[in-house]
Amino acid sequence: MKTKHIKTYILLIFITGLLQLDFLKIDWEYFKYIQALHILGSVIVTLFLLVPLVNVHVYKHLIVKKENSINGLLLGIVLFLITASGFYLFLVGNRGGDLFGIYSFDIHLYGSFLLLIALFMHTKKRINPTLISSIIILFMGTLFYPTLSLGDTSNKLTNIQLEENVDRYHIEDWTNSAKCKSCHTEIFNQWADSNHRHIAETNPYYMVMENLAAQDKGQGFRKWCMGCHNPSAITTGQDKTTHTMNDNIMPDVLFESGSAALIDELKTHGNSRLEQGVSCITCHRITKTESKGNSSYSLDVTNRKKYVFEDSNSQVSQWLDEKFINSNPKVHKESYSNPIYKKSTYCASCHDEFLPDSNLSVVATFKEWEKSPFNNPTDLSKHKNCIDCHMTNLKDDKFSPLKGSSTEGGKIKEDVKVHYFSGSNHFLSGLKNKVNEDQTIQLLKSSAKLDVAIKDGKIEVGVKNVGAGHHLPTGVADFRELWLDITLKDKDDKVVFESGKLKADNNLGEDARPFMKIFGDENGVPVGLLFWKYKKLLSDTRIPAGERRVESYDIKEELQYPLTATVKLNFRVYPQWVTDAVKRAYPQLPNPPVVELNKIEKVFSKGTFN
Amino acid sequence: MNIYIKTSLKIIVVVILIFEVLSYLLTKKVNKHYSDDELRQTALSRNMSSIPSTYNELLKLVDSPENKLSKDKIELGKNLFFDKTLSKDRDISCDTCHMIEKDNKENKTFSNMLLSKNKDSVKDCVVCHLSDQSGTDRLGAAIGHNQQVNPLHLNTLSILNSALAKHQTWSGEVQSVEQQAGNSIQDPYKMNLSVQDAQQRLSQDNSYVQMFEKVFKDQKNPEAPTLTFENLQKAIGAYVRTLLTRSDYDKFLDGDDNAISQEAKKGLANFMNFGCKGCHTGKSVGGQSIQKFPLRDYNSFLDLTNTFSENTKGRAVSQVSFNFNMSHPYPFENIGGFMGKNSQRLFRVPMLRNVTKTSPYFHNGSVAKLRDAVHIMAKHQLGMNLTDTQTDEIVAFLKTLEGDIVNYSIEDEGKL
Repeated sequence: MKTKHIKTYILLIFITGLLQLDFLKIDWEYFKYIQALHILGSVIVTLFLLVPLVNVHVYKHLIVKKENSINGLLLGIVLFLITASGFYLFLVGNRGGDLFGIYSFDIHLYGSFLLLIALFMHTKKRINPTLISSIIILFMGTLFYPTLSLGDTSNKLTNIQLEENVDRYHIEDWTNSAKCKSCHTEIFNQWADSNHRHIAETNPYYMVMENLAAQDKGQGFRKWCMGCHNPSAITTGQDKTTHTMNDNIMPDVLFESGSAALIDELKTHGNSRLEQGVSCITCHRITKTESKGNSSYSLDVTNRKKYVFEDSNSQVSQWLDEKFINSNPKVHKESYSNPIYKKSTYCASCHDEFLPDSNLSVVATFKEWEKSPFNNPTDLSKHKNCIDCHMTNLKDDKFSPLKGSSTEGGKIKEDVKVHYFSGSNHFLSGLKNKVNEDQTIQLLKSSAKLDVAIKDGKIEVGVKNVGAGHHLPTGVADFRELWLDITLKDKDDKVVFESGKLKADNNLGEDARPFMKIFGDENGVPVGLLFWKYKKLLSDTRIPAGERRVESYDIKEELQYPLTATVKLNFRVYPQWVTDAVKRAYPQLPNPPVVELNKIEKVFSKGTFN
Repeated sequence: MNIYIKTSLKIIVVVILIFEVLSYLLTKKVNKHYSDDELRQTALSRNMSSIPSTYNELLKLVDSPENKLSKDKIELGKNLFFDKTLSKDRDISCDTCHMIEKDNKENKTFSNMLLSKNKDSVKDCVVCHLSDQSGTDRLGAAIGHNQQVNPLHLNTLSILNSALAKHQTWSGEVQSVEQQAGNSIQDPYKMNLSVQDAQQRLSQDNSYVQMFEKVFKDQKNPEAPTLTFENLQKAIGAYVRTLLTRSDYDKFLDGDDNAISQEAKKGLANFMNFGCKGCHTGKSVGGQSIQKFPLRDYNSFLDLTNTFSENTKGRAVSQVSFNFNMSHPYPFENIGGFMGKNSQRLFRVPMLRNVTKTSPYFHNGSVAKLRDAVHIMAKHQLGMNLTDTQTDEIVAFLKTLEGDIVNYSIEDEGKL
């Protein structure tokens, strides 16, 4: 094999690489084959030709002949970088989430020119200057048209894709969720007080944060929030989430159960008012998800098969519409269900969240699940999807699939997927409905186990994440409080050690060690409410799925045994200082309670080590 | 006979065919598209112009011989604007309803309010709505002294740009911002403070006495009292005259083609072509004249409703009755029964600057959404039913009118 041949191969690979640049706008039909050719061709050339040749070549010239070629060394280094980054792009990819992908892409693109130069300089003959300069000019060209592949989509504030030829929806393209109630009563009622329903205009914490973000980052930044929190508003061209007003009064939706206002709105205004938040249609008309987070889903609201009177607002035609659907429900069912809805990748389009400017991950619930033992595609008996925990009915602190039907008079199913969307926020749904709150608290309580030991003048508490297929806590873990409340009493029932008590102002004491992550800005100062200023991760004490974290505290050595240790694992959905800030705008908001997830009490007589 | 019928039938068929084919043969009428520059020139030639960005130009625009602007006067007016002393119960200041921030240079009102340690600092709606700097309170009807709702259910007009209007208030019966400042202080449903009480309260405050002295001391007549209600009105008026906003629309008029979107440009063209700008004109995009609303009287002898239905974008067929009285004056609910100037449904044309920040719409706040307001205006003032696209475009244009208060560097004339 002559080196000339290898050079020709590399040149061909280089050209197929160049053809993939964005500014050439090669038609997809050709592009897809060029891409395949580039990747597969370079893998074959590298593995079967390049590596053996370089080995022989390097051995011959560097070790046997002891030649000192700077050109050769340069070519070797560049070749290594190109190959390594190429294999990274091939095997891991440039998905926009990790910086390595973006670096690899840049190295691969810009390095390839360097490789070409090094390649032509590495010859015994005189170097042709026009060749080198033309490569340099070509290289300059790409600097003006950088192709960052997925790196640049992440700069978008939302990644929602609408159906073809649709820029945005009309308000009436969305269907008010209350319309679904007459046939899917149970499911509607579960959803009506859930956190998916109350994720936008009716959620005081969200409203304050969206407005704060707009003030801090500019009005346009609201889109980043709205992509997942308020899909209907953002796709109908609204710039912000707005709360409703009833003349001079803002309806108090905090304590209203069953989404009564939404039902009223459908009655009085038909379908002409926009329903904000995550509605039935939002999730049930998602056609595709890219699972990249930051609202990377595709919606198709307009191309659904509708029955004759489906859009009509009069009572008679709505009644008729129901009859029409019930007499041939197959089309209706097909319009609103999709096999992807059962997969975790579906939830990933919103339950992963990264900053649009820096790609830093803020919420990575899906990615945590991917790495957890819950994601076990080889052994399906151990594989648990999001809906297996979060949409399964709970009874007596255990999963107990609900037998029944999802439609009035429908087929009896063994496991009706409940729409409480239990997660960790028991508080806001609990203000409206105790059943919703109860489901969430049951789920929370199944998440962790405690153990306690005293040895060597220390009290050691272990917390094991046994129930969650993601970190504990996950989600906006910078605004969640999960901590150990420890009380140690001696023989005389005197408290000799305590930790994790609330202060007089209801804030968590400084001695507590909450399991959470803390975001800092570029100077390492905690960002507080302004989490979009996150640049450096100051600490991350969350507990990954299946893992046990041990917290140990010093206690006095001379203690009167037997000692009684009471350890509680406490959870509060928002820290008091966050609630205090939100209460400035919503004074009627109560304080979220502290929920005791787990508790153990253990007596240590002298000499026990466990 | 038969032949006649046959020929006439043939002729009819031929004529119909000709008409059928004609529409394809004739070239379609080309819609006129403005270039960016043409659009700007057209707007400027029709009395639409931008808000000045320098204090010098501002002076040319708003300074009046009766109330000469000066740095100290504006400063005094600003203090009075934010002073609760001027209400009977000392609980309302001008900015209670005309919500703006005293120091509008800082963009941190909201976060400061949320995180302030002071437990007594303002709570609820104000926290968010002060930060949007709309110059109004966003309520359906204004609330004043003793928590009373305006008896006519009128809502607060934005204070921003109000100095540019020829007429003030909903009925347009007030001619200047100074006069309206006095009215609002005395109005029993607003601040409810009499002229004497206002003067007396201010004269107890030494700093005010000195400031009035400094601002209003007349060299020709040094004995004349300076702390008078008239001077109080002038001082507040002077401050209000500096509260102008500049937006993307102004940048477009000043020559920046990219300041507003393509859709907004179409909206601006629609706004001019459909006739909206006939009334909503001038720098303030309205406020220059008093007009009848609704212009097209749609009440008939057989009356169907007195409400505006959002479903049908027209009257809701909620009740059918004979209409002997003129009891349904507006295409929306007549809360408060306000009938405009001389009870003739004459209204001051509202200013559209910052219209996106001043919902709910119309004098009694019956219409919540801007799109619906645009629809009503087109239907009842222009006699047009806009398509969804046209409405979208106009709304996109109206969004470009949303701006921020200009921070003029205020210097007295000698120092300029």
